[in-house]
Amino acid sequence: MSLFFRKRKKHGPAGVRSENSPGNSKHSYQSLTFSPDIDENMRLLRECFENCSDVVFREFLFAQREQIKLVLVYIDGISSKVQISEQIMRALSLEVPAATDNTVINKTNALHYVKMRGLCIHQVGETEKLQEAVEAILSGDSVLLVDGHATAVINGSRGWEARSVEESKTEIVVRGPREAFVETLRVNTSLLRRKIKSKDLKIESLTLGEVTNTDIAVAYIRGIVNEGLVAEVKKRLAGIKIDGILESGYIEELIRDHPLSMFPTVAHTDRPDRVAANLLEGRVAVFVDGTPIVLTVPHFFIEALQAPEDYYEHYFFTTFVRLLRIGSLLIALTLPSLYVAIISFHQEMLPTPLLLSIAAQREAVPFPVFIEALLMEIAFEIIREAGIRLPRQVGQAVSIVAALIIGQSLVQAGLVAGATIIVVALTAMASFVVYYSGSLAFRLLRFPLMFLAASFGLFGLIAGLIVIVAHMTSLRSFGVPYLAPVGPLIPEDLKDSFVRMPWWAMGKRPYLLGQNNPVREASGMESGPPGTTAPKDGESNAGRGQN
Amino acid sequence: MLEGGKINAWQAVFLNVIMVSATALLGAPAIMASQAGHDAWMSALLATTLGLPIAWITIKLGSLYPGQTLIQYLERILGRWPGKALGLLYLLYFTHITSLMVMEYGSFLVDVFLIGTPITAIVLISITISAYILKLGLEVLARTNQFFFPWILVSLVITFLLVIPEMDLTRLQPVLETGPAEIFKGSLAPLAWHGEIIAFAMIIPFLTKPGQAGKIVALTFIFLGLIFFLLVAIGLTVFGPGLANMNYPILNVARVISLATFFERPEPLIVAVWVTGGLIKVSFFYYIIVLGSAQLLRLKSYRPLVLPVGAILAALSITVSASTLAMSDFIAHYWPFYALFTFEFGFPAALLAIALIRNRGIKGQ
Repeated sequence: MSLFFRKRKKHGPAGVRSENSPGNSKHSYQSLTFSPDIDENMRLLRECFENCSDVVFREFLFAQREQIKLVLVYIDGISSKVQISEQIMRALSLEVPAATDNTVINKTNALHYVKMRGLCIHQVGETEKLQEAVEAILSGDSVLLVDGHATAVINGSRGWEARSVEESKTEIVVRGPREAFVETLRVNTSLLRRKIKSKDLKIESLTLGEVTNTDIAVAYIRGIVNEGLVAEVKKRLAGIKIDGILESGYIEELIRDHPLSMFPTVAHTDRPDRVAANLLEGRVAVFVDGTPIVLTVPHFFIEALQAPEDYYEHYFFTTFVRLLRIGSLLIALTLPSLYVAIISFHQEMLPTPLLLSIAAQREAVPFPVFIEALLMEIAFEIIREAGIRLPRQVGQAVSIVAALIIGQSLVQAGLVAGATIIVVALTAMASFVVYYSGSLAFRLLRFPLMFLAASFGLFGLIAGLIVIVAHMTSLRSFGVPYLAPVGPLIPEDLKDSFVRMPWWAMGKRPYLLGQNNPVREASGMESGPPGTTAPKDGESNAGRGQN
Repeated sequence: MLEGGKINAWQAVFLNVIMVSATALLGAPAIMASQAGHDAWMSALLATTLGLPIAWITIKLGSLYPGQTLIQYLERILGRWPGKALGLLYLLYFTHITSLMVMEYGSFLVDVFLIGTPITAIVLISITISAYILKLGLEVLARTNQFFFPWILVSLVITFLLVIPEMDLTRLQPVLETGPAEIFKGSLAPLAWHGEIIAFAMIIPFLTKPGQAGKIVALTFIFLGLIFFLLVAIGLTVFGPGLANMNYPILNVARVISLATFFERPEPLIVAVWVTGGLIKVSFFYYIIVLGSAQLLRLKSYRPLVLPVGAILAALSITVSASTLAMSDFIAHYWPFYALFTFEFGFPAALLAIALIRNRGIKGQ
């Protein structure tokens, strides 16, 4: 992927692509406009949509007057059939005479009547350019050509088969909203708009992908977000010149700060509440049509440990869960290598009874512990991958069978020690606790760490960890340090990191994001039973914990 | 400017503490105890006190030439060529002690944990990692250290707390038995460690607020005083003056820990502290050598020097001393004089005197 990225960069933003790509024919029709001759207009459109069997050209007569011919052009399947037949064709061909008084409708004033009295459709536009009409048709609108006019009417008649809003599949919560984004951009932005009912929520749109013409929306809250960040996001998006964008992952890889790093510096989610919370902290979201996954930037590593539910559940419990997640992350990264290091080099670390028990288990095992652990880790990764890819009905069964066979029989056959299975299983479980994309890098990194631990014991393990931490501290996400608020240390932002403070104590937005508008809530909101007067000196009150 | 990064006050404090104390962790208590016996804890306190003038000189020089590192203001103080010559000597000194550090670092691991592993492998790994951190810059070094520093501190504190049952304060008695001269002798080696604070002069210009250098050093010395004092005090109360015969007394301290039969011998905690702290200390000095050379040679970037200097350090650290024992002997008996009379105290004091006189002369005109 990085190779691809660099190659693309070398060619420069202008790109050779646009000259010999399938979009070449664009140049010829970019400047074309409609003419008053309806047959000529139809010929132009037919030429554009040559061999496109899904494009429909429907000719009919305006208000049943023979001299005024209309042509409706749309794509079958992405335009709403009901709207087209009821609100456009029926309205124009049958119902106009009933509504008109004595004025005569003729070729010269037909357009006016079509628009102002005929069409019963909620969104209507006009264009004289062929290209705009073609683009409208391609995105599901229908284009109406009126005889004698060089102007085409664009009707907002988009409508296609789409998945309805369902429960989030990637981030499941017990408490909190269930809805998740879907594949349709407009539905996604509406889900966000319903959460943030503010005129300051800006949703700017643009189109990327020279062939796919994918709609992209950039959302942010004016007054909270740093305008420089918005400009930077738009600048990076504008630099993308690619034939197609099928998923937000394409964009993620093309706008990252460190394309060679394993760690994700762009966050993604399918939950509207997560996006809304991110925007309220001063981030920018990028919606891509055709995928439920929305990107948010900048991304801190700490977000991998934060779940939406954390902010809805009691903060004591959340703090406990956060610590649990950090522990899990450490286990997922280091437990196999720690096990290898201890068994190979530092046996004295284990209490004697445990050491004896492990030694007894390992007596019959024919492999060194590194090979044993490595085999089991790889076996587990295979099971995990199989579990995801197989059809759901089979997947679960296969996972269980694989786990039983591998776990049970390998131990019984004496190929693998029971302790190794425990370590691998614990590692596997721990890696599921953390936000999925945040754990991917660690899943990979535990293999080199195991190798280092097998060669140099604890020294190798710690040396590897230092390299990982140094690498992570060097990362930036849209100019913001990735490891903030830990490195660099921002004490105030620690209130939402390893612990979560109660809402009345999190008065300010994250320092690196929200400097534009740092205060997010009134101070001194800590509530109490009636009669006890809470001290009203805001700031000092917030830091002190509950009474 | 060669270095674009900036470090804040706490990052500087943490860097300084690690830069001075990381290698003192294992051997220093034994060196102190070999001179001052069971009064070595007083040597530790004395060393911290005597280190303050060195720190003051470092800060004073930095404030006289704001925005400049040691290597740069040497030329301002002594003139171009003498300044360059002394700068070169400083770089050679830093190279020397860094290679000693790397050897100390590697030989401990090879002696105690990775028996049979060639020291070359350890040296190469640590130099490679340091080089990687240097490539990323001072900011990353400071932040990495900031990330690990709390863990290092927590590990030490846990070790200290767990060893409390083994302590016996009567092992410190009779107080002052050895006499003031011995206590002073015992404080020389830790004083030389404290004197490494002179390296801070190389990064003062990269502080976000260089005016805070004084406070930073004061905080550093509070940390250092505590660490040195606790190391020796704990070693002494657990083992008594017999500490002096141990190669790695603090490791032995960890070995006697046993908590409720399931948490025994947390040596790996100590090893983890040692490995992390040592690597950061090596990276820091490595950085200073590379940065100083680039400034001496007026290069535009220090990064081309990273690999050559790394190769020199790796080669030197394997050959700098014949054996671990020879090295410990050098550190205990020769290094304090070598370091204190010249690069850590002697030269800076002379430089400050010259600088003050010259400045007065300029003002007089």
